[in-house]
Amino acid sequence: MKLIKFASITKKIALAAFGLFLLLFLPVHLGINLCLLREDGGEWYRNASHFMGTNYIVKVFEIVLLASVLLHIIIAILLTIENFLARPIRYKVATKTKTPFMSRYMIWTGGVIACFLVIHFINFYFVKFDLVEGKYSADMEQVDKHFQEKAIKLQSGELSEKEQASLMAQYQAISQVSMDKMDKNRKNLVNLTKDEVKLYCGEDFKHYEPDFYNMSLELFANKTYSIIYLLVFVVLGFHLFHALGSLAQTLGLNHKKYTPIIDVVALAYAVIIPLGFAAIPLWLMFML
Amino acid sequence: MDFTLKIWRQENQKAKGRFETYKIKDISPDCSFLEMLDILNESLVNKLSHPVCFDNDCREGICGMCGLYINGRPHGPDDAVTTCQLHMRKFTDGETITIEPWRAKPFPVIRDLVVDRTALDKMIQEGGYISVTSGGVPDGNAIPIPKHKADQAMDSASCIGCGACIAACKNASAMLFVGAKVTQLALLPQGKPEAAIRVQKMVAKMDELGFGNCTNTYACEAECPKEIKRSNISRMNLEFILAKIVSEETI
Ligand code: HEM
Ligand code: FES
Repeated sequence: MKLIKFASITKKIALAAFGLFLLLFLPVHLGINLCLLREDGGEWYRNASHFMGTNYIVKVFEIVLLASVLLHIIIAILLTIENFLARPIRYKVATKTKTPFMSRYMIWTGGVIACFLVIHFINFYFVKFDLVEGKYSADMEQVDKHFQEKAIKLQSGELSEKEQASLMAQYQAISQVSMDKMDKNRKNLVNLTKDEVKLYCGEDFKHYEPDFYNMSLELFANKTYSIIYLLVFVVLGFHLFHALGSLAQTLGLNHKKYTPIIDVVALAYAVIIPLGFAAIPLWLMFML
Repeated sequence: MDFTLKIWRQENQKAKGRFETYKIKDISPDCSFLEMLDILNESLVNKLSHPVCFDNDCREGICGMCGLYINGRPHGPDDAVTTCQLHMRKFTDGETITIEPWRAKPFPVIRDLVVDRTALDKMIQEGGYISVTSGGVPDGNAIPIPKHKADQAMDSASCIGCGACIAACKNASAMLFVGAKVTQLALLPQGKPEAAIRVQKMVAKMDELGFGNCTNTYACEAECPKEIKRSNISRMNLEFILAKIVSEETI
């Protein structure tokens, strides 16, 4: 029984195409992550996050990316089930045929990545949708503007008693705000909890963003998390080690001249990308 | 040389099979694997029990009838040979040898080590040929074919249809078998006219018969007695993409 009516090769090509999109996205994500290492109090990182969170073209790609991840996983699971069913009675002696090591464990390495993605989404992505509380930042200019508007309303007597009280509380809080709630350039309020956002920026302030910079640093300060993170990227390296060559094979690119080049590029990619990601917790653990 | 043999025995397609253990003594290292089984069978017949059934025909590595899964490898521990071309010197004295039939959903066991490989023929019947119904013998040089393409097509055509690729594949995928035929005929001018239809029909049949999907582990290439390359699968994928996207012919 075929689980979905697509031809085997159609499914393989779809898997590869979605995989290709993931392969293209990883260096972009790495580039942003590496901004964490700049000792600028998170300025570059925050700008990059802001861009990724607000740009409309990026938003379209975000949907494509999410679909790619999901479909890559769904097709991979489908194929694995079908392939398992293709041999209902299994051999007694396990195979002794020599095959590229990582090629046999793609679903397992993929599974580890998928588990990490769940954690990753809970930690970061869900914060964007207010499903999980994280840390937030707000542009001081915006906060000021919001405060001024409220102050004008206060003078023309438009504020209720409750609103007046909360404006007073905000005024007091913000004049005593501690340094660690501000970034280096004193342009943003950072590392705020939801309650602090309400306190410092006003109840109905809307222009706050998730503060991924401080959320990342907080996670990496946790040794257990850092170690899991490092292990996951070793596993990602394994997945990638087979991925690019396999992708070329699936898409029909097998050529005397290019296949050896692809193999070298695949190896380089599988080493450099995970190493880049792993460099961040390693740096934070050992260099700071 | 002496061996302990663990052999899959199964009376018929419906029966529940089991492994039987046999001891066999004084086998010459130059004995072929099938001759060794012949010797075993003779002793079984002398004892009035059923001989072990296994497929074979030419015994010179060209027909593809033989095929046993020996100690975890199709056609046993030698590279690029069929079971009939495997010799006992490839084993060590006193070794336990486990012999199983090809395992795949489309390959039901008929008896003992004999499996039904009609599925391979069914896939070939979907388009593994060129439709020429009449006419005289064409002139030898009438259709120019570049040497390297002729060579590649010849390499693909060397498939003997033994099914080792499927037996070796962890997914029981037949993509090397189908890929070799698709590639062979797509490379040659004679096969071109039907190329787009052929690949679609053969792949559809392959899926329908219940073979698995290739996941690029290349066990097929490693075990093929004729050393057919994985590039044949890649070529089939390309032919399939072109057939689906570019060609207007559908099945
Ligand atoms: C950043 C994450 C990932 C990237 C960049 C990636 C990339 C790729 C690529 C390029 C391929 C080769 C496609 C082919 O063989 O044609 C592949 C194969 C595969 N991926 Fe992923 N993948 C990722 C995550 C995952 C996840 C989360 C799973 C979860 C189940 C998974 C499961 C698989 C499997 C089973 C295969 C092999 C299937 C086959 O070769 O037919 N991958 N991956
Ligand atoms: S019997 Fe013909 S190939 Fe082995």
